[in-house]
Amino acid sequence: MNTLRLYIKSIGMLLRSHLQYTSSFIMQTLAQLVMEGGEMMVVILIVDRFENLKGWSGGNLYFFFGMMSVSFYLTELFGRGITGDFPSMVRTGKLDTFLVRPRGVLTQVMCSGTDPRRITCIAVGIAALIMGSRLSGITWTLTKVFILIESIAMSCLLILGLFMIEAIFSIFSVKSVELVNAITYGGRSACQYPIDIYPAPMRALFTVIAPFALTLHVPVSWILDKPLYGWPMWTAFVTPLSGALIFVIMTILFHLAMRHYRSTGS
Amino acid sequence: MSYLTVFKMRLRMELQYRGAMIGGIFCQMFFGIVLVALYRALYAGKTQSVPIENIATYVWLQQAFFRMMFATDTELTDKIKSGDISYDLCRPVNMYAFYYARIAAQKLMGSVMRAVPMLTMAFLLPKGWGISLPVSPLGFALCVPAFVLGFLCVCALENISVAFTMKSLDPRGIAALLNLLMMIMSGNLLPLTLFPESWQKVITLFPYAQLLDAPIRLYTGEYVPADALRIYAVQAFWVVTLIWLGVVMWNANRKRMIVQGG
Repeated sequence: MNTLRLYIKSIGMLLRSHLQYTSSFIMQTLAQLVMEGGEMMVVILIVDRFENLKGWSGGNLYFFFGMMSVSFYLTELFGRGITGDFPSMVRTGKLDTFLVRPRGVLTQVMCSGTDPRRITCIAVGIAALIMGSRLSGITWTLTKVFILIESIAMSCLLILGLFMIEAIFSIFSVKSVELVNAITYGGRSACQYPIDIYPAPMRALFTVIAPFALTLHVPVSWILDKPLYGWPMWTAFVTPLSGALIFVIMTILFHLAMRHYRSTGS
Repeated sequence: MSYLTVFKMRLRMELQYRGAMIGGIFCQMFFGIVLVALYRALYAGKTQSVPIENIATYVWLQQAFFRMMFATDTELTDKIKSGDISYDLCRPVNMYAFYYARIAAQKLMGSVMRAVPMLTMAFLLPKGWGISLPVSPLGFALCVPAFVLGFLCVCALENISVAFTMKSLDPRGIAALLNLLMMIMSGNLLPLTLFPESWQKVITLFPYAQLLDAPIRLYTGEYVPADALRIYAVQAFWVVTLIWLGVVMWNANRKRMIVQGG
């Protein structure tokens, strides 16, 4: 609980510091809006031209898009320390100062960054969710709301876990590793569309290694009343937990890697 | 020619970062495969006037030359922020041409070094997944000058956004917005050939469509060789206009410049 209070306090302080540069902040937030709006426009243009994607209607596609963008940008909003700043902390030696303080390194990394500009991206995502829900004619029940929240939370943990792979690499190699972007940013691009449209090797990648299919596509398909691969209902509750599993594994690996941390000395 | 020397020096600098390049290539290849898989799935439902082979070719050429479009010269923006740019102002050269040469070298080397291995790999992919051969030898011959004009255009655009950075000192404001506009309007997010027909008529006249869209369309045969002269004219118009605009902005910046720091 103490850690949580610390986190909330740090994020609050960081937020205030971001808001000090008002005009720059507004400009950048607008830029984010244009960016995510552009991504959304692409989906709209695709739906306009192709009408459906292997049995998924336009509304379904908006819903998938919204889920991915809400999960991804919530992670960036609250976990910026991991998703963005970590490699530079290693390079500049900022990480060293964390080692002497009486708190866990991971806690401090998480406390050290937030990205409030992402708020507009999340807004676009929510708009896509509402649009998708209307067009798909979803009848909301308490179970569906629960699964929706579970799916978003678990996807966030998964994304955080995937970004930790990059963090772990950068502990050893000092430089940030662009290759990992293939499963983080690449995963976002690929998995904002239903997984079953892709050929088998890609499906395997996003089910076993970076299980977006389990945290996002299985529950969302169930919400849309089109269960993925015809899997029974209980899978929609169970499979998202793989996100938490990945997060736990990566946390353990992160701590193991920290034992081998050698400062850059700067 | 001093501008040629600047150009050559930047070329050598770009050659230094080979490790980062290999990671970048694989990442870009993956994005390409994801996009092609998506369009293939879309095509399974409803066949289009544009064949899937052309879309795959479009995606691969866009991915291969990604660095040409979006690489920003962070060293240059740092110079602006720190005030080191005043040293450059002391040099007895034309500022616009000096930076133009610098940007051109960075974009050329960065993209060619990535494009060659990427396009080679893309040729090896099965038909309909990878890049296909140009529609005809003539089409390929016509696409080369269009590509050069597009390249001149993108360097002029980049120089304009540097001029904006000079004004606002923050590269993330207007410069970022211009970059985003480019992502959508140049066909990087969605091939321009898949935009609604009525939009295409307007968008293809914009400067952003001249960079890669015009040469790619000549390559795949969406533009017939008879159109070539008209396309070159549009491209040349934008190259001249953008360079003129950039020079005007730089001259204005020089007159009212405030150097940061001491």
